Amino acid sequence: MKNRICHAGAASRRPSPCHGRGGRLAAIFALGWFVLVAGQPVRAQPAADSPVGWVSEANRLPDPARDPAWRELVDRLAPNKTRQSAFEERRYFPFRKAPVVLTGEIRIVPEVGMSLRYLTPEERVMIVDEQGLLFRDRAGREQPAPEDSRAQAATAALVNVLRFDLAKLQREFVIHGRRDGAAWTLAFVPREPAFAQLLGVLTVAGEDHRLRRIEMVKSPSQRIEIDIRDTREDVLFTGDTYRRFFR
Amino acid sequence: MDFRRQRLLARLALCAFAAVCAVWLWRLDHRERISTNILDLIPSGERAPEVGLVRGFASNVQSRVMLFALLDPARPAAAPHAAARAFVDELRKAPEFAEVQRPADPAAQDALGREVFAHRLTWLLPTWLAARERAFAATGRPGEQFSAWLAEGAAADLEAFLARPEATAMQDLLPQDPLLLVPSLADRARLLAPGGAGAAGRALVWARLEVSPFAEAGQGPVFAAVERALAAARAVQPGVDLRWSGINRFAAASRARIEAELKGLNLVSIAGVLAVSCLFVRRISRLLHLLPVIALSIVGAWTLSTLVFDRLHVLVFVIGSLLSGVAVDYGFYIYMQPPLYPDETYGQKLRRLLRPLLASCLTTVAGFSLLLFSELPLIRQIGFFVSAGLLCALGAAMLYFAQLDRPQLEGREWGGLGGAGAAPGWRRLVRVGLVAAVLAALLGPWRLQWRDDVRELDLPAPELHANERELRAWFGETDSRSLFLTHGPTLAAARARLDAFLAWHAAARPGVAAASVGLLLPTEDDWRALPQRLARLKGFAADFRAALARHGFTPESFEPFFAAWEAQAARAPAEDFAALAAGLDRALTGPLALLSQRGAAPYWFLSVVDAPDVTAPEGLHTLGLQQLQSLNDLFTRYRWSALRLSLIGLGLVIASVFAIYPAARALRIALIPAGSCFFVFGVLGLAGFTLNLFHLLGAFLGVCLSHNYAIFSADNAERGTAPPAPIRLSALSTVASFGALAFSRIPVIHALGATVALIVLTALAIVELEPLARRPRA
Repeated sequence: MKNRICHAGAASRRPSPCHGRGGRLAAIFALGWFVLVAGQPVRAQPAADSPVGWVSEANRLPDPARDPAWRELVDRLAPNKTRQSAFEERRYFPFRKAPVVLTGEIRIVPEVGMSLRYLTPEERVMIVDEQGLLFRDRAGREQPAPEDSRAQAATAALVNVLRFDLAKLQREFVIHGRRDGAAWTLAFVPREPAFAQLLGVLTVAGEDHRLRRIEMVKSPSQRIEIDIRDTREDVLFTGDTYRRFFR
Repeated sequence: MDFRRQRLLARLALCAFAAVCAVWLWRLDHRERISTNILDLIPSGERAPEVGLVRGFASNVQSRVMLFALLDPARPAAAPHAAARAFVDELRKAPEFAEVQRPADPAAQDALGREVFAHRLTWLLPTWLAARERAFAATGRPGEQFSAWLAEGAAADLEAFLARPEATAMQDLLPQDPLLLVPSLADRARLLAPGGAGAAGRALVWARLEVSPFAEAGQGPVFAAVERALAAARAVQPGVDLRWSGINRFAAASRARIEAELKGLNLVSIAGVLAVSCLFVRRISRLLHLLPVIALSIVGAWTLSTLVFDRLHVLVFVIGSLLSGVAVDYGFYIYMQPPLYPDETYGQKLRRLLRPLLASCLTTVAGFSLLLFSELPLIRQIGFFVSAGLLCALGAAMLYFAQLDRPQLEGREWGGLGGAGAAPGWRRLVRVGLVAAVLAALLGPWRLQWRDDVRELDLPAPELHANERELRAWFGETDSRSLFLTHGPTLAAARARLDAFLAWHAAARPGVAAASVGLLLPTEDDWRALPQRLARLKGFAADFRAALARHGFTPESFEPFFAAWEAQAARAPAEDFAALAAGLDRALTGPLALLSQRGAAPYWFLSVVDAPDVTAPEGLHTLGLQQLQSLNDLFTRYRWSALRLSLIGLGLVIASVFAIYPAARALRIALIPAGSCFFVFGVLGLAGFTLNLFHLLGAFLGVCLSHNYAIFSADNAERGTAPPAPIRLSALSTVASFGALAFSRIPVIHALGATVALIVLTALAIVELEPLARRPRA
C-alpha cells in the first residue's frame, strides 16, 4: 500500500474526506491495540443491531461505486495532494456526564502517509503510513503498534476507509448512505461481529464534497465524534514538519 | 633381563595401553562429553555471581529460543499468516519444541490480560497503594487526610486518562478498575510487548526448544522438523520462503567449521612436515615409525582427559592436536641419535639419553601442570591434556623404539654457521642483530596491547550473525534499548532489588521508560502490608465516590470496583509469597515466560530500559546484558591468572634446569626459550598487535618446545658445532605445522599457531646463530 494512503485517482482539487478521519482512527487503532493488553473477551454483536438510528436495510448501498447517486462523491472522497485540517474530537463514555474533548491537527501527504497531532489536553502524534501505526509522545519517544492479527485487521480495514477503496470496503463493511440536499452521510457497519464489537459503526458526513464529521458509535453512551474544519490544500510542509509528524 | 624379554614386555605394555584407550574412546558418548558451547568455557561455579547469572541466562534461556519469519517474495506486502499457522501447527508436533507461538496470535496476550485483570487487586494494588502512601507521606499532611487525598488523586488521574488514545479501548474495564491498575501496567509494560512492527510482510513465529541446542538432539531432528513445517506452510502458500535463526544453527556450523578446519590444516601441516623431513632424513618411509608414538600420545591424552573431566570443550581437542608437534620431539631425539659406539644397545642408548629426555619432558609437564590451578576450565583441561600427552609420548617413544632391531634414523647434517672459519663481518652482523633482539625483548613487551573478547572463542559466522540480527530486528529487538538482570537469593529479595533498580532508574533518567515482568508482582513487604493499609482506608469508598462526582463521573457506574475493593479488604491475608508468584506461571507464556526466573535460585527479573548504553551502578545487584563486557572482563581476569601461572611455571622450569645442569649450561637453556618468547612478544608489541589469552597460552607452549631444543642442543653448543639434525627437523616441523595453523580462520587457533611458530622459529634461529655469535675459540 505504499504511497497509496488517501490517494485518489481523480485529480480533483476539492477537499476530501480524508481530512480528519485520522482523529477517529487514533481511537480505533488504539482500541485494537489495548484491548489486546487488557485481554477482554470480545462479545459478538449482531451487525443488524446498529447503534446508529438511521442505518437500516432501506438505505443500504449495495454498490455505491456504480450507484449514480453516489459515484461522483465517492470518486472525490480521496485526496491526491497535501492537506492540513484542524479537528475537535469528543469522546463519550458511559460513566461520565460530559464528553472528553481533544483538539489537534491532521496532515496528509499522499505519498508518505497521514499524521495526527493532538494538541490538547496532551500533545501526542499518531502516524499512519506504509509501515503501520506509530505513536510519538511529546518527548519524541515512539511506540509502534505490535504485530497482532486483530490490530492488523483493524489497520487494514481503516486504511481502506481512508483510501475509499470501495471494492475492499465492501468485503469488510456493509455500506449505508443518506442524503439531504447537499448534506450526505455514509455509514460503514463491519460484517464481522467481533470486528463490529471492536469498531462499532463508522460514519462519515459532509456537505457537497467536504467532509465535516466522523463518528464511531458503539452505543449512544459510547461514541466518538470528530468535527473537521479549516482545511488547507497543497500545503508545503517543511523538512522539520516531516521529521516531527511523519517517519 | 635379556633383550627379547624386554622387547616382549614393552610390546605387551604398548598393546595393552592402546587397547584400553581404544575401548574407552570407542565407548565414550562423544556428543555428551564434548561440548561446543562457548558458555561451557566459563566455570559453572564462577565466583562472580553476575557471570554465573549471565551464563545461566544465556545457556538455559536465550539459547533455546528460535526465531522464524515466513514471507512470500511474490507478495511482499502481505504477511503469509495462513501459511504461518500451518507452519506452527506442524512444528508443535515435533517433540523437540516445548513451545511455538505466533506473535500475531492474540491468544497468549488475551490469557495474560485476563489473568492480570483477575488478580489486579492482589498483584498490582499493593504496589499502587504503597507508592501513594509514600507520596502522601512526602506532603507532610496528617494521616487522617490520606483517604480523601488518595481518592481525589485517583479521580484526577482517571479523568486525565480519558484523553489518552487507549482510553476508548479500556472503557469497558474502567468501571472495574478506576484506579487504573491494569492500564498503568499496560503502559509501563509496552517495552515488553511482542515485536513485529518492523516485520511488515512477514509472518513471525517464536519457538522454544525442549532440548539443548548444543546437543545433537537439538540440531538434526530440529532442522528436520523445520523442513517439515516449511513443507506444511508451502502446502498452504507455495511461494512462501523461510528465514530462521537459532543457537543450534551456530553450533552446527561451528562443529562443521572445526571439522573442516582440522582436516584442511592437518593436511597442510602434514605436507609441511614431509617437506621439512625430506631435507633432513634420507629415508622418508622410516619416519612412519614416529606415527605410533604421536598416535599413542594423542590417544593417551584423550583417554586420560576424558577419564578425569566429565565434559571437555572441543577447543581442548583442537588445541590438543598441536600436541603432536611436541610429542614428535622425543621420537626424533631417540630415533635420530647415532650410537655412541658400534655395539651400543638400545637400552644403553636410552640410559644415555634419559637425562635430557626426562629433563625436557618433566620440566614441561611441571610447567603445564601449573595450568591445572587456573580458574578457567579450558586452561585446566589444556594443561592436563598436554601434560598427559607428553608423558604418554615419552613412554610410547621409549617403548616403541625398543621394538626395532636397529632404532636408528640417519639424518642429513647440513653443517653450522659458527666455527672459526666464519667471516668476521657476519659475526658482527649477528651480534648486532642479537643486541637488537635483546632490546626488542626488553622494551617491546611493555608496548603490548591486550584485549580479551569472548567472541574470539567462537567461530566467525558473519552470514549467520547477519541473519540473526535481521530476524531479531523483525521481532522488535533494537540497539536503542538496554537490558538488565536484577537477581537475588530469594524471589522476595530479587523483587525488592528490582524495586531499588527501577527507583534508581526513575531518578537517574526521568522520563525514560523502563519495564519488567517483575512489575506484575508486589514486593513482599508491600504485599504483607496490604491488609493493614486497606484497614486504615475504611472511608475510601465514600471519599472516592465523592471525588468521582466532582470530576464529572457518575459514581454509580463504578459499583463493580467498590464491590471488589470491599471483598479485598475483607479477605484474609495469604501466607506464602511464593504461592502468589506461582500464580504468574499461568499468565506468563512464550517470550514473556523467559523474562524472569521465579521458580528456583538464582531468582532474577529482566528489565528493559528505553535508552541505549545504560549502566547500573554497583550495589543494585543488577547486571547489564546489552554487551558482553562482563564476560570480556572475566576473560581478562583469566588471562592475568594464566599469566601468573605461566610465569610461575617458567620459573619452575628454569629452577629445575639449574638443579639438573651446571650453571653456565643451565643459563643458556633458560635464556633460549625465555628470550625467544620475550623477543616475539616484543616484536608484536612494537608492531602494534593486540594479543589475548590464547597468545599467552601459545607462548607457554612455544617456550616448552624451545626449552627442548635448548636442552637437546646443549652438547653441540658447548662444542661450538651445528645443532643436531633432530633439533632442526623437530623445530622446522613444528614451525611448518603451527605455521599452517596460523592461517586458521578460528581466532583461537590462529593466535596459538602464530605464537608457537614464531617462538619456535626464533629459538631455532638463536640455536643456529649462537655459535656464530660466540667468540671463536683459539
